[in-house]
Amino acid sequence: MLTNYVEKVLAMLEVEVRRIMHDRTELYTRAVQPILWIGVFAPVMEKLRVVPIPNVTYMEFITPGVLVQSITFVSIFYGLTVIWERDLGVLNKLLVAPVSRSALVIGKALSAGVRGIFQSLIIILLAELLGVRIILNPFYLLLAAFLVVMFCAAFASLSIFIASLLKTRERFMGIGQAITMPLFFASNAIYPIALMPNWLKAVATVNPLSYAVEGLRALMITGDLATVPLDFLVSFIFVAITIVIASQTFNRIIE
Amino acid sequence: MNSVISVKNLVKVYDKVVRALNGISLEVQEGEIFGLLGPNGAGKTTLVRILTTQIPPTGGEAFILGKNIIEEADKVRELIGYVPQEISVMTDLTGYENMLFYSKLYDVPSSERKRRIENALNLVGLLDKANVVVKNYSGGMMRRLEIAQAIINYPKILFLDEPTIGLDPSGRKAIWSYLSQLMEEHEMTILMTTHYMDEADMVTDRLAIINFGKIVAVGTPSELKKSTKLESVTIVSKLHSNEVKKILSSLPFVKQVYDEEDGKGVTAYVENAEEAVVEIISLLKENSVNVESLSMNKPTLDDVFLAYAGTKLEETTSALEARKIRRTMQRMR
Ligand SMILES: Nc1ncnc2c1ncn2[C@@H]1O[C@H](COP(=O)(O)OP(=O)(O)OP(=O)(O)O)[C@@H](O)[C@H]1O
Ligand SMILES: [Mg+2]
Repeated sequence: MLTNYVEKVLAMLEVEVRRIMHDRTELYTRAVQPILWIGVFAPVMEKLRVVPIPNVTYMEFITPGVLVQSITFVSIFYGLTVIWERDLGVLNKLLVAPVSRSALVIGKALSAGVRGIFQSLIIILLAELLGVRIILNPFYLLLAAFLVVMFCAAFASLSIFIASLLKTRERFMGIGQAITMPLFFASNAIYPIALMPNWLKAVATVNPLSYAVEGLRALMITGDLATVPLDFLVSFIFVAITIVIASQTFNRIIE
Repeated sequence: MNSVISVKNLVKVYDKVVRALNGISLEVQEGEIFGLLGPNGAGKTTLVRILTTQIPPTGGEAFILGKNIIEEADKVRELIGYVPQEISVMTDLTGYENMLFYSKLYDVPSSERKRRIENALNLVGLLDKANVVVKNYSGGMMRRLEIAQAIINYPKILFLDEPTIGLDPSGRKAIWSYLSQLMEEHEMTILMTTHYMDEADMVTDRLAIINFGKIVAVGTPSELKKSTKLESVTIVSKLHSNEVKKILSSLPFVKQVYDEEDGKGVTAYVENAEEAVVEIISLLKENSVNVESLSMNKPTLDDVFLAYAGTKLEETTSALEARKIRRTMQRMR
């Protein structure tokens, strides 16, 4: 029963990997913006000396933040692809197959995770070339990958939930930007929380993005793992809640 | 006879106002090709979507091979195959990859996957295109791939929602020759929707005419055509049409006589044109009427539709259909 469930989720992930293999251009075009942040914005901002952590450049400081912003963007559009697949009939066919609704949602959510991993690899590689020193500890990197997958799955599920409310592509279009940009700026992605005015501090502390950034920053840049358990816990709660909500509302997309 | 699909008083109301199905009941027998014929918005797709467990009905119930479509949806899904109205292949993958994905979703054992996929692709004539990305397929090829996908689990019942929409006549013919081959190899029942009259006439064993969410007639194509009682005999002669009409009206089985619109000839409506024509000829001979030509007209499904739904199907659909085909084709890109 459970193996069957897992096999079907894996089949969906395999499709995602095959899709990425057939068309890699999207991975590259989506890497452009992060590289501008890391390669152009960061060197200029370096002069302000806002980074409180010793031996970490501003470029290194924002790399995890920019990475998280990029994968948020990738994931928040999964709901749109679900609407798109409904309009095409692909979704109808999935719903008729002997697969449970929650396996479909988890499959979609983890597909976002798969794409997020590929996207992260490209960004990390380019960041290295730009002079960012990433901690090359396989155990740390594995934990980082795990965090990336949880985070992408959470945003993809959130996106599926939004899709079940909006139902049409047109209405969904603007939503991606409207959600990701505020979350990005109201987080510790490109400046330390300590520098924020109080109201923004409050927002940043409840912003799940901050925890993903904090965790990745610890695992990839600083190596100081003190905050990592909390970062994982928050991300796990975030993904669990969003998956449950998305599974409950998934059927409404098709109605 | 075994009823494999049993539908009882099904009602579907969308958004609390759109009454898409208004009390549908029907039985589909094992091994037959059952057609649902109706104009745009009649509720064909809605019925198929309910029977394939995608959406719940607002009222009524339905059984697939004895399984309740709501309470036993999981079991129903294992028994059916489905081709949606929209083109539903994943265009960014190859044909083989599409098949592989569905073979996994449908629990085809890994040892059998390759063989079954190749068989199915071979059956629909796509084996040599298996490793081509589906984007590069034609509309007909995509449809054939979808059929191959839908039969990967050897379903007992295959639901086809407008399987040939947007295809040219040769594409349509190809689909049906593959499907009939399939039905020979596996015991299968097909429920299909269409609004192509000729197709419904040719391929279905029985069909239901559906209009405004209601079934207005059910039967074999020939039963339905007979039931309209619209067979006729048209006679062209030198004699004045009023004279001919008078002679024909004297026959007990002639229901009505009309002048042809072009003024050349008289048409008599009868129940059975083949039987009537013999008596008509002898009667005209007796009255020494010089017959120039004589023709028998059988009703078409168009006439059936006209008789039961009060409108001509072709007129109500042609413009809408053109738009729908265009939409389907756009989505495929
Ligand atoms: N998801 C939906 N929400 C609201 N109304 C719907 C929905 N789907 C269909 N309808 C409406 O229900 C009615 C029946 O639609 P349906 O798609 O079942 O017809 P159809 O016979 O398949 O038509 P077509 O030949 O165009 O495919 C139509 O009036 C349609 O507008
Ligand atoms: Mg339809």
